[in-house]
Amino acid sequence: MLKNRRNEILVAAVLVAPFVIIYGWLFVFPTVQMVYLSFMNAPLIGQGTFTGLKNYQRLFADKIFAGAIWNTTYFVILTVVPGTAVALGIALMVTRLKGWLQSVILSAFFLPYVLPITVVYLLWDWMTNLQFGVLQYVIEPIVGKPVNVWRTIPWFMPFAALLTIWWTNGFSILLFLAGLRNIPKELFEAAALDGATRWQVFSRITWPLIWPVTVLCLTIQLILQLKIFDQVYLFAQGGATQKTMVLVQYIYEQAFQKNAGGYAATIAVALFVIVVAFSILQYQVLRIRGAR
Amino acid sequence: MSYVELQNVTKRYGNVEVINNLSLGIEEGSFTALLGPSGCGKSTMLRMIAGLEEITGGKCFIDGADVTDMPPAKRGVAMVFQNYALYPHLTVGQNIAFSMSLAPAPKALQESRVAEVARMLQLEQLLDRRPAQLSGGQRQRVAIGRALVREPKVFLFDEPLSNLDAALRSQMRLELARLHQQVKTTMIYVTHDQIEAMTLADKIVVLDKGVIAQTGSPLELYNKPANKFVAAFIGSPAMNFVPADVASREGNAVTVVFAGGNRETITARNPATADKHIEIGVRPEHLKLVASGSGNAAFEGTVSIIEQLGNSTLLYVDTAAGPLVVEGEGNLKAATGDKVGLAIDTANAHLFGDDGKVL
Amino acid sequence: MSSTDMTSPMAGNRKRSLLVDIVGAAITLLTIVAAVIWFFPVAWAILTSLKTDDETVRPGFHLLPEAPTFNGYLFVLQHSDIGIWYLNSTITSVTVTVVAVFMAACAGYAISQLRFPGRLLLWWTILASFMVPGSALIVNHFIIMAGVKLLNSHLGIILPMLITPVTVIVYKQFFDSLPREFREAAVMDGANEFQLLFRVFLPMNWGITTALAIITFIGAWNTFLWPFLAVQNEKMMTVTVGITAVQDAFGVAYARTLAGAVMAGLPVALAYLLFQRRVTQAITLSAGIKG
Repeated sequence: MLKNRRNEILVAAVLVAPFVIIYGWLFVFPTVQMVYLSFMNAPLIGQGTFTGLKNYQRLFADKIFAGAIWNTTYFVILTVVPGTAVALGIALMVTRLKGWLQSVILSAFFLPYVLPITVVYLLWDWMTNLQFGVLQYVIEPIVGKPVNVWRTIPWFMPFAALLTIWWTNGFSILLFLAGLRNIPKELFEAAALDGATRWQVFSRITWPLIWPVTVLCLTIQLILQLKIFDQVYLFAQGGATQKTMVLVQYIYEQAFQKNAGGYAATIAVALFVIVVAFSILQYQVLRIRGAR
Repeated sequence: MSYVELQNVTKRYGNVEVINNLSLGIEEGSFTALLGPSGCGKSTMLRMIAGLEEITGGKCFIDGADVTDMPPAKRGVAMVFQNYALYPHLTVGQNIAFSMSLAPAPKALQESRVAEVARMLQLEQLLDRRPAQLSGGQRQRVAIGRALVREPKVFLFDEPLSNLDAALRSQMRLELARLHQQVKTTMIYVTHDQIEAMTLADKIVVLDKGVIAQTGSPLELYNKPANKFVAAFIGSPAMNFVPADVASREGNAVTVVFAGGNRETITARNPATADKHIEIGVRPEHLKLVASGSGNAAFEGTVSIIEQLGNSTLLYVDTAAGPLVVEGEGNLKAATGDKVGLAIDTANAHLFGDDGKVL
Repeated sequence: MSSTDMTSPMAGNRKRSLLVDIVGAAITLLTIVAAVIWFFPVAWAILTSLKTDDETVRPGFHLLPEAPTFNGYLFVLQHSDIGIWYLNSTITSVTVTVVAVFMAACAGYAISQLRFPGRLLLWWTILASFMVPGSALIVNHFIIMAGVKLLNSHLGIILPMLITPVTVIVYKQFFDSLPREFREAAVMDGANEFQLLFRVFLPMNWGITTALAIITFIGAWNTFLWPFLAVQNEKMMTVTVGITAVQDAFGVAYARTLAGAVMAGLPVALAYLLFQRRVTQAITLSAGIKG
């Protein structure tokens, strides 16, 4: 189309300027600064001294960092695949419903997703309350006595994972619903005519056709849970935080409690690298499996 | 200089040249059709006049002004799109008034102009509806109204009827013809449908792969095609083409021999070339049934298919020179398998050389 | 193979479909039960908030409050800063929503419709930004906001939350998907780029803008980590951060704590329930590009 080139560039500049300014100032610059800081021995605010790769060397030997990686990995294992499986199951159940019943049921499953984490925290803190929590009525018969879930290490992560799945499942459920809706009805009708059982329909038709959505859910969940902080921080308050520390928490602790801005940046860079590596790896692996 | 003039216009997309060194003049107040098959460049030409495509080389003038580098809004042109492009979130009235509301023109003026246009196009009852609630024909009229309200120097139509069904198409054709009589604005109309071009235009520009094949009035193109492309494209049912050998020439009179042995003498329009093998073009209505074996038949053949249309009859005849279509009267008596002879009305026969040009 | 046996294939189908029906009904029942269980934590919190504090610590399981009371809510309203926190949350969330969506629409439009130097670079940068975890940048955000003395202020909370690459991408793809004839018709009518954006492209589909706005609002309201770090002053806290402080203050007064939780979650829960369709649309849109 005929345009005055200079005018076009000017208009474009005006339109992108607000976004670019904020984005550059508060995203690109901090990312660069983060990398830069990781090579420094610096407090949170203020000048530091250049120390080269010392921070990284320290990181590799850091037991707490290793622990944070393990905790984060453990958490990811507990949430990503189980969460996606749960979401798929719920989606399969919900997709059978119609009309207002479907709407109401879906709202019940989705509502937690729109709640703030602190609200979720308060809800579950109440339910797991050692003396009065309603969940103790379930725990006590199984274990023999009430359990202080958040102060008993083997219970901490599984419960954190449980409430995270409860909290974030809505997103995956929606994706699966959309994916299921995209399967042409004719395939199910043909299968019914062929006399296929429910399981056969699922394993031969549904599962292969929603595989791309499954991959998507797993990938998004993985990237999301690697960055876990809020719920672990909130529930570990006042307890042995180090035993259950996760990566972002370590960044927070180093930066805001130990005033080690440089080292915190190093951990942040490490997290960044892990997230990128994992997501690329997982995406490729799943795509290859899907292509076969 | 003509009202709309393209001078040596070239259009290139990257390395692909779509239009090469094309020059065209369009008279003020005329209805000109740009006609041709898909990919011939007619839409590109229209969009270059509109300013929606850049003119790679050459110049474009509208009403004396050089608009080659001017943005569309300043050229004094308005366009009716193939898919109407009505703003779905605006009512019919708002759609029509849109260009004025951008200016912005005073509300009173907008209202009066919209009312005027609505009256002309019988849209008064629909002014408060949204495009989604309208039928195809109504949407088309709103699109025309939106162009009308701008009082442009040139109306541009980009295949406006191709999304309508056949009955609606003939109706809209009449409305467009009436519109042109009423507003008398210059109109340039792109179509691939030769019936639309023949019925609406006072001048047709036939395009073939980015080059003008012929320009002229509908009857000129019909009766005196300049080349085989135009001869084949215009007219329905299409012209018959028969290969023939040149037996002898005398001035402009050329005697040819058809497969099957019969001869005809036809007058060429242009000085004949030295080609030995040429093609004869003759329209179905210029072939006449004669008794088989009679001396004046150019072709002998058997009737294979008969199509009776009521006002005419089409006969598909297999001959030694190939299958030919003959158009006869509505109550023509014939049966499949009949042996017939076909005579040519030589005054209406055309000779085409190797390169497709008429001889 | 005899066709005189009238009981065989037909009866088989009827038995089969009856079984299928029973299983089907059972699954539906299971679905409803699962939904009830899933909803329980929320329901339980609401019910608890309507009890008296004594009731909540009574032994045994009592589902419903004896005499529903709003005392918990009144207490929280009177003895905490929740009113101020609501104000802070509203100011920050609404500002983030309006500014972020507006900026994203403008930027998305420019990337989609205009050609300018650096366009592709900007687009690739935005796409790549998914890889960078926002929570890794909290340290730097803190340093920067401290540097411009914006900590403990609304602006300090708002600014880092304006980064929404997803919104830009959704807008860009939306503008790309519009048939070019709309743009051409508007250009021929004499529209400039701003008129094209604000009078044609955006109004053509307010649904997308609404969906993005609601999801941005919910996200902003619910953000914990950054508002938590950016603000020490209790009077400047958002509701999401503030109610954790409530819990400390109220200790074992569970009805009050949960009343606070309910109040904190109510606006976003309502936003979802009222605009379910839009929220769903926004999520599927934003997930579409992550894939």
